[in-house]
Amino acid sequence: MGETISLNLNGEVREAKAGLTTTLLEVIRDQLGLTGAKKGCNQGVCGACTVSIDGKLARACLSLAVNSVGREITTNEGLTEDGEPSALQQSFIDNGAVQCGFCTSGMIVSSHALLQDIPNPSIDEVRDGLSGNVCRCSGYRKIIDAVRGVARG
Amino acid sequence: MTEAGYFDPVSVDEVVALLAADDEAKCVAGGASLVAMMNARLVEPSRLVSLRHVEELKKIETAEDGWLQIGALVRHCDVAIADELADGNQILSQAASLIANPVIRDMGTIGGSVGHFDPAADYPVALSALGAEIEIASEKGRRRIPVSNFFVDWYETALEPGDLITCIRVPPPPTGSTGIYEKLAKVKGDLGIAMVAVIMAMQGDAVSHLAVSVGGCGPKPIRLPEAEQALIGGSIDEAAIQDLVGKLSTASDPVDDVRASAAYRKLLIPRLVAQAIGQAKVNLRDGS
Repeated sequence: MGETISLNLNGEVREAKAGLTTTLLEVIRDQLGLTGAKKGCNQGVCGACTVSIDGKLARACLSLAVNSVGREITTNEGLTEDGEPSALQQSFIDNGAVQCGFCTSGMIVSSHALLQDIPNPSIDEVRDGLSGNVCRCSGYRKIIDAVRGVARG
Repeated sequence: MTEAGYFDPVSVDEVVALLAADDEAKCVAGGASLVAMMNARLVEPSRLVSLRHVEELKKIETAEDGWLQIGALVRHCDVAIADELADGNQILSQAASLIANPVIRDMGTIGGSVGHFDPAADYPVALSALGAEIEIASEKGRRRIPVSNFFVDWYETALEPGDLITCIRVPPPPTGSTGIYEKLAKVKGDLGIAMVAVIMAMQGDAVSHLAVSVGGCGPKPIRLPEAEQALIGGSIDEAAIQDLVGKLSTASDPVDDVRASAAYRKLLIPRLVAQAIGQAKVNLRDGS
């Protein structure tokens, strides 16, 4: 399906096949094997597919693969440091901020961006920053703890 | 670009030529509306014209006639912090800051939202109160349409095949005006059950400018210019407000949906509008 495109994904150049309507999410999950970003609503509402494109948060499900060529794409996998969990990722583990895990990658990518803008966010600032990410287990309290935990260092 | 049917033009002229050549071609800006429609299999374009490299559409600038021109590709996050929107015109920033969530505000564009025209969207309500215009380019040239004629019916605008929205034009705000944008939603980030936009100015105790628009309660934003005019020059007391909000509720044509019933919306409109006008009066009195 489609023709070969080349993407800058987590600092590497990766090739994939993409048709006109193929989304970035489909490419990174189904072809490139990075399954952190999830296909939840596929409408941009749930936040499970959140990635960073050129330093700004984006929904991979609403981003066309052909429109993503030439841009720097970062997923949760790309936030690891030398193959080890980042401080933020470790804080999610330490705080038990993962229940079913479906929302976790999107939560971490959004939290990473939030902490770059606001290094020590208040509870309300974390809520605002993650307002586009839904946790159907409703485990928000521990997610907020995880984000603020790493902020305090 | 390698993919057949994908075009990456850099100028408005190129875009309108591509649109004129193929009725099936769709423009894609931020993707927040179009790609969601594609994912839901509601549209399946055979050609896509990406607008991402059309620099003209990314500008916010003041035109020679003093109107502010917001390029179609300007994102909600940037409208939300645009210094150029002053006084009553700040309702457009307030509306932008309440659209969906931070990620969608980073992706979605004002031109895309206006062209898609979800009747529960935030921009149409604010643009209606502002008396804005939509500038459109096609192979035949450019034209401007007042929003009162641009928004036609549920998901229907005055756009014709081959048209590209180039910018949203906002008139200078009335002197000393204030603006209120209120949205009632079940949770933050959801589409609104109802929205209201008010722009008001007073000279002494008398109203010198009033524009009230109600959204989410019918196929398009509701404005009643004659009822607004009746309040100009008066002191906008409780009786005058009740008269206006009653007419707005009567003029509304809401539907039952997952967010609220039509009957609830009819009850809501008078309260939301009265509250917004009351807040506008307070702002003007306090000079904020």
